[in-house]
This record gives sequence, structure tokens and C-alpha cells, in this order.
Amino acid sequence: MERVEEMLRVARTYYIYSLDTNHTDSSWKPVLQIYTDLDEDKKTQFEMDNYAALKYLLLDSDNENSTKNIIQRARENARGIQDHLTREVWEEVNAMYHSINRSFVTLKLASSDALEIIDLFLKHSMMYAGIMDVTMQRGIGWNIMKLGKFVERSIETLILTDKQFELFDYDLCTERGITNWRFLLLSLAGYEAYLKTYRSNKHNQQVLHQVIFNADFPHSVLYCLNQIDRSLAVLAQENSNPEVADLLRMFGRMHSKVRFTDPLTLQQENIKQFFQELKHDLQNFNSKLRLIFFSY
Amino acid sequence: MTEDHFLNEYVHHENTWDEMYDSKNIRHQYSHVFSMLKHLDVDSMSNRHRLAGELFLNQGITFTVYNNNEGIERIFPFDIIPRIITGSEWREIEQGIAQRLKALNHFLKDIYHEQQIIHDGIVPAELIASCPHYIREAYGVRVPYDIYVHISGIDLIRGSDGKFYVLEDNLRTPSGVSYMLENREVTKRIFPDILSTSNVKSVSHYPMLLHEILLELASSQVSDPYIVILTPGIFNSAYYEHTFLAKQLGIDLVEGRDLVVDNHKVYTKTTKGLKQVNVIYRRVDDEFLDPLVFKQDSLLGVPGLLSTYRKGNVAIVNAVGNGVADDKAVYAYVPEMIKYYLNEEPILNNIPTYQLSDPEALKYAISNIDNLVIKNTNQSGGYGMIMGNSISDKDWVKAKAEIEKNPRNYVAQPIIQLSTVPCFINGKIQPRHVDLRPFALCGPQGIKLVPGGLTRVALTEGSLIVNSSQGGGSKDTWIIDND
Repeated sequence: MERVEEMLRVARTYYIYSLDTNHTDSSWKPVLQIYTDLDEDKKTQFEMDNYAALKYLLLDSDNENSTKNIIQRARENARGIQDHLTREVWEEVNAMYHSINRSFVTLKLASSDALEIIDLFLKHSMMYAGIMDVTMQRGIGWNIMKLGKFVERSIETLILTDKQFELFDYDLCTERGITNWRFLLLSLAGYEAYLKTYRSNKHNQQVLHQVIFNADFPHSVLYCLNQIDRSLAVLAQENSNPEVADLLRMFGRMHSKVRFTDPLTLQQENIKQFFQELKHDLQNFNSKLRLIFFSY
Repeated sequence: MTEDHFLNEYVHHENTWDEMYDSKNIRHQYSHVFSMLKHLDVDSMSNRHRLAGELFLNQGITFTVYNNNEGIERIFPFDIIPRIITGSEWREIEQGIAQRLKALNHFLKDIYHEQQIIHDGIVPAELIASCPHYIREAYGVRVPYDIYVHISGIDLIRGSDGKFYVLEDNLRTPSGVSYMLENREVTKRIFPDILSTSNVKSVSHYPMLLHEILLELASSQVSDPYIVILTPGIFNSAYYEHTFLAKQLGIDLVEGRDLVVDNHKVYTKTTKGLKQVNVIYRRVDDEFLDPLVFKQDSLLGVPGLLSTYRKGNVAIVNAVGNGVADDKAVYAYVPEMIKYYLNEEPILNNIPTYQLSDPEALKYAISNIDNLVIKNTNQSGGYGMIMGNSISDKDWVKAKAEIEKNPRNYVAQPIIQLSTVPCFINGKIQPRHVDLRPFALCGPQGIKLVPGGLTRVALTEGSLIVNSSQGGGSKDTWIIDND
């Protein structure tokens, strides 16, 4: 569900961006590269077509990662663990599932009302997060959901950030105006926070700080790791699996790497490597987490 | 398009410049929009109109009307059909406004220092001496980079000859920029396909430009300047805009009571203690800014602010005392200022203006009132305007007596038929008169205009008054570069 929210936010930002500039300047290719495994020909075919790109990202059943497929899987999961969820959480997931299958969604996405559909499901996602927060008991179920949510969020942030830096050839020295960073910041719901927090014109370093190292920004990698740390501690206490100590060590190394890296020391040469290592560590951590808590 | 399509019902006025039609044909800048609108029916247009209203309401882009102690939230009426200006027309507007602002900046510096323009007999001394917006306390104050007008909204109209004229200069706290930005966002929702295929210039970088200028105005010795927006508070009609800009710029919104002056420095009261303010973007008028200098009973300002400003410890945007340059009587001298300070011919023309302090002009105005509009130089927002062609005899007798009592406070101008644009009103497409307020920003790097502006519409049939306080609405303004 975290991926749905993030993807919708990216789609929303990109869709609006495509209306705001000359059509030739905006291509869906970077978004399709992040969220789909389409072959190059298809990506080229969809890149200038708002409807085709949105339809593939949101509704296409052949796209494993489409909003529709993710919601369907989330509903199946929720059905299987209904006894651990509150009625309100289940009803919200169920409502999302039925909404996305209604015919008006496809029709509106193909019309000038596409933004209305993106907003509808973005609201559903936020509603889901709010309902979960308000109604769920702070027990094992809650902490597992939190772990999943923040692992996913940290990976999403990292992928989006890496993509943005890749477009700039990981060049931190050439200063770029805030307009160049708006897409990333809006996609991470951090544009207003950025403007309030950072005051100089050194946007490259500041954006890097906000999205990776800012412990108060809810989409930063460090914030996510801090949240994972808390939930992991609770779960580890209640789990006797000897592998847990390994998992904690693995997480501790990754967490420390982010906590104790000085952003100013990251230069063009090592920033790419930093992102790649972090992504790799997070994916390994995620696999191990699944192995310990969900595979018996 | 069927014969009874709503677009076929459009009948523009004779002897008025219509932005969409010349005498018979669609102007080329409208042809794409027109062809796209042909595919829509009245219901579809009505739905878009309704959606636009909902979007404004849900985002809180409203102003409050008080009636029987109850506040009613109203939206600033928005017409969904965009107003389109070509790239070449825009370039002329851009150059004309930049030229005018350059001259007005020179004038403000001059009038608060050497007053050479008075000594050289270009502007009469009595005009400045009698101007209520000339702030004696600002005399001799040095402002950063000698920039007085950082943010301006110069109102333009298009006459029946198709030329743009300057209607008035707004150099104090011009409002409406949030509507320019929000109108575009709403258009993205209601006409995304038309917008994306029309090659429309973006306006979304305005907050970034403004923020850069505010940062540059802080003393160079401050590495991390603290900027605030000073608002009169939630009851101000433009409060939405103040909050909008604070969010878009990432700066704090404060009221007078949040600020304090100590030892000629301004501070904001924060939960962590006092924090020094380096730049104030004020949306409070001069006369309320400092109760120690101006209105003593003002609760909107900050005691001691002006002394801090004089010492150069805080930059105030726009500068204190700008009202003298946008006074409606001083307006008539702007073309002369352009020649005097820049040695250039004005690119944008003024509307001929009669100073009623001149007995000859007063006599002329009284005998030709049917063709003139008389404006009170101390009022804005469409208030204090006398439309000579529609005033009743009884009201004119009363107004004439007032004018004769203090003619300095009045100017007369010929009634200009503002251009018309198509508007979608009550399920029909109808012509309505409009003006245009482009927003210009002036900083150390020069003058910049975002390609667009606020098109204000007189929504009442036949009305020439576009002010929101008088029943006006707005439109998204598109600058398209396809010529």
C-alpha cells in the first residue's frame, strides 16, 4: 500500500508537470523505468502519451506493479489476516479494491478527469494510513505493518532520488535551481517542508540532506530507518529465532552508515556507490526480514 | 459543430476589441482553443464550471463576506475559458512594464532624496506635497540596491484600437498573484488536454523568483537570512494570498503582535526565544506599519519598525512610501518620468488624464462628464469611481460638490471600452470586459515578469468595473508562443 501511495504521488506530479511545460519536454520514460518492467520499445511508445502511461501504471492487469494489482494483492493479504486487522482497516482496503474495479475509473482516466482518479486513490491511500494509525492495536501486527511500510518507503525514496541524481549524472558541483528538484520533492511530499527548512541556494546538497539524512522528514531514508529500528526492537524481543541477532546486526550496520555519514563528504564519485550500497543493504535486509518472520 | 452549439451564440460588441474575434474571424491565438471547445457541449462546460468552483472552495481559496455577524465563505468567481495573449503582444507588455518600473524606481529614489525632478519642473512640487502617500519619514532612507518597487501589479487594459494602455500602477501591496497561480492549477484540472497542447508558458516559477529576490535583499553579512510575511490577519480580504505565499516561499507568516523591536532590530517571538528578522514582505499598508510614526491606534504594525528600517537593519518589501508613485494624480506624469530618467519614449501609453486641480481641466470634466470617468486619487478597488455615462443627476450634483471642494483628490479620464473576452456564464458564452494585471518582480539582477498575470473580468453585463470587491471575477491568462 505504501508503494501505491508513492506511485500515485509520482504519477500526479508527473502528470501535472506534463501539462505545465512544452509537451516535448516531458516524457514518462523515467517513471516507467522506475515502476515497470516494460521493454524499451513499449516505454518509447508510452513516454509521450499521458493516457497510455497512466493506464499502464494504474490499471493494467499485465503490469505486476500496477496500482490495481497491488491493491488486489493487498486485499487478498488483508482477507487472510482479517482477525489481526480492525474492521475499519479491512473495510478501507476492500473499498479501494472495489473502487479501482469500477468502470468509471478507466473512462475517467482516459478523459480530462485523469487527475480526479489519481486524487481519489491517493486520498484512499492516505485514509488507509490514517485509519491504521487510529484504530490498530500497537502489538505485533502493527509493528510488522510498520516495518513493511518503512522498508518500502525507504527503498522508494532511494530509487527516486537515485533516478533524479542519475539524470544529473550524479554531479553535485554544478548548482541546479530549485525547479530542477521540484519533481523529486513533490513526489516525496516534501516540497513545502524543504522550502521551510533550507534557506540557501545550495539546492543539490540540501535536497540530498532532506531526502536521505533529515530525521524529521517522514520520507527520508534516515527517518524510515529510525522507525524500522523501533519496530524491529519490539519484534526482536518477542522472537526467539537465533537469526534475529544477525538481522539486528545487519540493520545496525546499515542504520549507522546513514546516521554517521557526513553528507558533505559525498561527492560525485561515491554518491552513486552510496545509493547502490544502501539499496542493496535494504533489499538484503528486507529478504532476511521475510525469511525470519514469514517463512517457517 | 452543430448550428445550435453554444459557441455559435457568441456575439461580440461593436466598437470594442474582442480578444477572440476580429470583425468576423477567430483570432489565430484562439483557434486551437476554439476548435477544442467545439467538441464540448453546454453540460460538459457546466460540469467544468462546477468542478472549478468546488476546487476553489475545497482549497479554501475564498474570501469571507460578513452579514448579520455571520461569515459566508465565497469564492472569487472564476471563468473557465482562458484569456489568450500572443507571445509578441507579451514581449511588448514585458518591455513596457520593465521600462515603466525602471522609471518609477528612479522617481522614488529621487523624490525621497534630491528631488531633482521637482527642481527641473517635470513634476510640480505641490502635487507631491499634497499627496497623502508621500511619507516624510521615509525621506533620506537608503534602501537595499536602491530598489523601492520589488513587487508590482501594473493594471493594463486593451482599448478598441487593440493597443494596451496602463490603467494604474500598483506599487504598494498589489494582490492577486495567488489567483494567477491557482487559476492555472484549476485549468490543469478542467482543461488538461487543451492546456497541454496549446504551448502555454508556465507561471509556476513565480514563488521561486520572489524568494530569490527576498533573499538577495538581506544584508550581505547575513548568511542565512530570516524572512517573514507580515499580514494584517485573518480578517484581511487577501489573507488567503498571504498564507499561500508563506507556504510557497517556505517563510513564516506573522502578524504585528508576533514582532518586536529591540535596540533598532526587529525580532519574531518564537517558542525558542527572539529571532532576528532580516527581510519583511509586508502586506500591511504604510499608515498601519508603525504606531509610533503613523496611526497611533494601529494594532497591525510594530512599534519602532520605521526607526529599524531607517538604520538599515531590516529590509521592507515594498519600500515605505511607494504610494506617492502610484497616486492616480502622479500617474499622469509617468510618461514624462520615462523621458526624464531614461531618455526613452514610453512603450506602453497612459490613458489621457485630466488633473482636476487644474481649473481648466475641472471645467472641461464637468461639461463633458458623459464621456468621462472620475476617480478619487486616494481610493482603490473600484471605490470612489464616478462613471459619467451612468451616474444619476441627483448623484452627480452631490459628487460635483465633493469634487469642487477638493479637486486635487480627483482625476478624470475618458471612458475606455475595455476589450472583451468570451465567458461561460449561465450556460451561455457571452462577451465581458477585462483588464490584465501582470506581476513584475524587481531585484538586484533586474526586472522579471512571469508570462501571465491576473485577468480580471467584469462579470456583470456591460460593466467596466473589474474589481473583485465590485462583482468582478478572474480568468486564467495564457501567453502562447506560436507566432
